[in-house]
Amino acid sequence: MSKIVHLKESYPPGDFAIWIVIYIELLTFGLMFLGYAFSRRADIELFNASQSVLNQASGFVDTLILITSSYFVVKALNTVKNARIENIQASNESASRWLLAAILFGIMFLINKLLEFSDIFSQGINLSTNTFFMFYLLLTMFHFMHVVLGVVILFNIRKRTKIGCYSEQNCRGIESGALYWHLVDLLWIILFPLVYILR
Amino acid sequence: MKKRAELIWIVLVVFTIFTYFLGQFDFVNTLMVGILLMTTFIKGELITDYFMSLKNVKLKYRMIPTIWLAAVMSSIAVAYYLPIQ
Repeated sequence: MSKIVHLKESYPPGDFAIWIVIYIELLTFGLMFLGYAFSRRADIELFNASQSVLNQASGFVDTLILITSSYFVVKALNTVKNARIENIQASNESASRWLLAAILFGIMFLINKLLEFSDIFSQGINLSTNTFFMFYLLLTMFHFMHVVLGVVILFNIRKRTKIGCYSEQNCRGIESGALYWHLVDLLWIILFPLVYILR
Repeated sequence: MKKRAELIWIVLVVFTIFTYFLGQFDFVNTLMVGILLMTTFIKGELITDYFMSLKNVKLKYRMIPTIWLAAVMSSIAVAYYLPIQ
């Protein structure tokens, strides 16, 4: 009976630099998450009352959008990595379509978030309203900026797929961009239950 | 596995729906906080292992986000469960 041996890769996918960025982001957001969780202990009633103002459905839709967008990026990367020499151009075109879907979902997230911010601001809420809203606006706006950057990165990667740039041997760029997008997704899946759901 | 990405996506969606319904119907009690944090940890692990492709890299690289996730989730659990003086 033959035995399949899966060898471990020596290094993670993507560039070394993207991992430095990812570790810094994890550390920064990690501290902000803990800041929120421990500040809540000082006034639980205020946090619970303020949290009830938030639109949980909007946070839920945001999560689904980001998860699905991440899935599209996985499909784009897999398409490029599994390409054969004779169909590199076709696989880049297919990756380009997956990336377009991911970008559109990223833009949907941004639009949904802007609507949510507009609703919050129309109620006269701002950074100095109370500690909960200070954390809520800080966390969600900081994350929003990461999504904007992620969309720009995906857009640039897509431009390179248009010229058939990526193949199994040359996919560091698309891997790094994909990693950044998954990081944005990872941060949101913690942010959503922490700020919108847990009470 | 050919349809692994699809399977992971479905699991992530199911956990997200579970989280949303807990919040929507106000089922978040002391026990549920732990369960929610656990499902969030699993979601994070699925993203790092399969979407970020860390499943097949050396353990030391795979463990960094896992330790981060465990540290953040357990600290949040402490903040929620520790009795207030």
